[in-house]
Amino acid sequence: MADLEIRNLHVRTEDHEILRGVDLNIDRNEVHALMGPNGSGKSTLANTLLGHPDYEITEGSISFKGQDITEAEPHERAKAGLFLAFQYPVAIPGVSVANFLRMAINAKREEPIRVKEFGQELQSAIDLLDVDRTFTSRHLNDGFSGGEKKRAEILQMAMLKPDVAILDETDSGLDIDALRTVAEGVSKLQAEQGMGALIITHYQRILHYIQPQFVHIMLNGRIVLEGGVELVERLEREGYDEIRRQYGSEVTAGANSSGESSA
Amino acid sequence: MPENADGNIQVKAGRHREADLYKALHGAGAADGRTLEQLRQAALGVYDATELPVWRRSGFWTTNLQTLDLDALDVRHHEPGEQPAVVTRTIPERARAGRIVQQDGSVVHIELQSSLAEQGVILCSLQDAAEQHQQLFAEHYSKRLTIDRNKLEAANAAFWSGGVFLYVPPGVVVEDPFEVVYAICEQGVAQYGRTLVIGDRASDFRVHEYDLAENFEGQSLHAGAFEMYLHDGARARLAQIQDWGSGEVYDCSTRVVALARDAYCHWLPALLGGHLVRQHLELAVTEPGGDMAFRGLFFTEARELLDVFAVDLHETGPSGGDVHWRGAATGQSRASFEGLIQIDPGAQKTHTYLQIHSMMLSPKARVDAIPSVLVSADDVSASHGGTVGELDETAIFYMQSRGLDRPSAVRVIIEGFFEPLLTELADEHLAGLVREKIAGKLAAAREDIETYAASR
Repeated sequence: MADLEIRNLHVRTEDHEILRGVDLNIDRNEVHALMGPNGSGKSTLANTLLGHPDYEITEGSISFKGQDITEAEPHERAKAGLFLAFQYPVAIPGVSVANFLRMAINAKREEPIRVKEFGQELQSAIDLLDVDRTFTSRHLNDGFSGGEKKRAEILQMAMLKPDVAILDETDSGLDIDALRTVAEGVSKLQAEQGMGALIITHYQRILHYIQPQFVHIMLNGRIVLEGGVELVERLEREGYDEIRRQYGSEVTAGANSSGESSA
Repeated sequence: MPENADGNIQVKAGRHREADLYKALHGAGAADGRTLEQLRQAALGVYDATELPVWRRSGFWTTNLQTLDLDALDVRHHEPGEQPAVVTRTIPERARAGRIVQQDGSVVHIELQSSLAEQGVILCSLQDAAEQHQQLFAEHYSKRLTIDRNKLEAANAAFWSGGVFLYVPPGVVVEDPFEVVYAICEQGVAQYGRTLVIGDRASDFRVHEYDLAENFEGQSLHAGAFEMYLHDGARARLAQIQDWGSGEVYDCSTRVVALARDAYCHWLPALLGGHLVRQHLELAVTEPGGDMAFRGLFFTEARELLDVFAVDLHETGPSGGDVHWRGAATGQSRASFEGLIQIDPGAQKTHTYLQIHSMMLSPKARVDAIPSVLVSADDVSASHGGTVGELDETAIFYMQSRGLDRPSAVRVIIEGFFEPLLTELADEHLAGLVREKIAGKLAAAREDIETYAASR
């Protein structure tokens, strides 16, 4: 049994069905890439995995480390070891990065983390992500640039040490240096802590820095094509249009063009 | 317009005399050379001749005290002795310059660091000051406070007992706060509290006022009057923590801070509870060079009703002002805030800004905020801004995805909302106390907040 098992997942919002039967297995130590054009349902899957209240699961199940978490509260999923790096991280005014991290870490523990231990872990995460020390005393995502927000996401991931992390378009809007830093951070966590990762992207760029073992292509709410890294190369050559021609005919193209939420 | 279920609030359109109600005192003090006894007599006349007050802002709110049974209340006196339990239980233990505690109608506890007494600092009851420090008293008492605008103001001026007097001599700098405490311990009490603070030239000090009550059944009243005069170059940080508990405590108070040349005041009232609270708060720059930071926060719950009129008054320029308030409301509570920037003719080179941010945490709670600007000079800048918000569900989900449960996420958002002001308190003891009280109120309103979230 895989650590994260997604079975025949159907998800809808108030308006319409977005995911139409997704199956996916992710184990620790594995790096998966989920690719697909805008509106194909990638972010919906990411948010559903963490229990976003706007997405209703109408069929199928999600289990994590042997536990059915289909109905679990978002914070229970996080405590179990799931992590989502948001496509659009949310500003939390008045709460510093460091304080927030301390709260999040303590939420997962019986005893609060000791000040010294926290300081050490924070420092190593800061080094890893190549951010300024003052970064952690700023209010979380409040007034952050796009790149800073993405770094803050990976910083949180480094501190919270999830078993499986979902990175929802963490590469979007990053310049090449930031992209490299973020990618190296992810690779390091993956190598050192055996973290599993689902990297959601619609560009090939980030996958030059993080080699996925498994690549999944999503179209109109379904995973239509799976394979190894060679799929990325094929996408680079052919683009989504070719995939859509081959696999997209069974569903009405554009039926859920507004389906990918920015939540 | 909705009507509050307990009937205290009704909003009526139509004719009214609101121009007189929400108006700066503007230095129209009562003293005018009269003795204390003469002032008490004059106030008594007003008290006898007037009814309980009503404050009306047409189209927005009406605050009236018709549910207050004033005749059933009396002024109770106590011998000096132990501090009430609510005082020792609430106020953080920390180094302090001094403390004075009024329980109901009497001062029951006074302490002052001996080194400060040696430097000429005076901390005593206002009653004692009237006798023992006659000149200081006569020069300042009721200099900018009126006695005739309404029945409860007149009641205070006529009946006040105990009271607080603090004098900080020229050049004296005091790091630790002076703590001024008004406590009401039972129902049936009318507390006419009166405070006079004088910061002489170039003094620098902190005052922390605590307004506290036990959680009792039944009515009590705090009708307060507070005046603080900062002479040339004096600097003061004034914080007020008000939580009258869950009893039916009415608080109708007027507070004035006046700044002389180059004086500075940072004033932050934290209004955290009371059955019906009506506050007129006025910070006045009376001479050139005065500068103020007027902060405030409020949190109302259950069926509480809060009516704040905050005045940022510039009688002369150059001067600076910066008004920043934040408030949140749960339950069926109602908070009405009017912030007035008033710049007098000739107060050139005044620069001031007013902002009010509020957060609604319940469908039945209501916050109204009216910023108003009265400018009678042409070389000034005065502007205002504000926001009204609700809980941000995306922020809650974001925090939940990091392992915080929903109530914790809500608490973090609300604390973050107030954090800019708590940081400005520059006092971890006070900030901690405010955070603790807000957390308690959020916990009490958890169900209400959840229902609201689910309904949106």
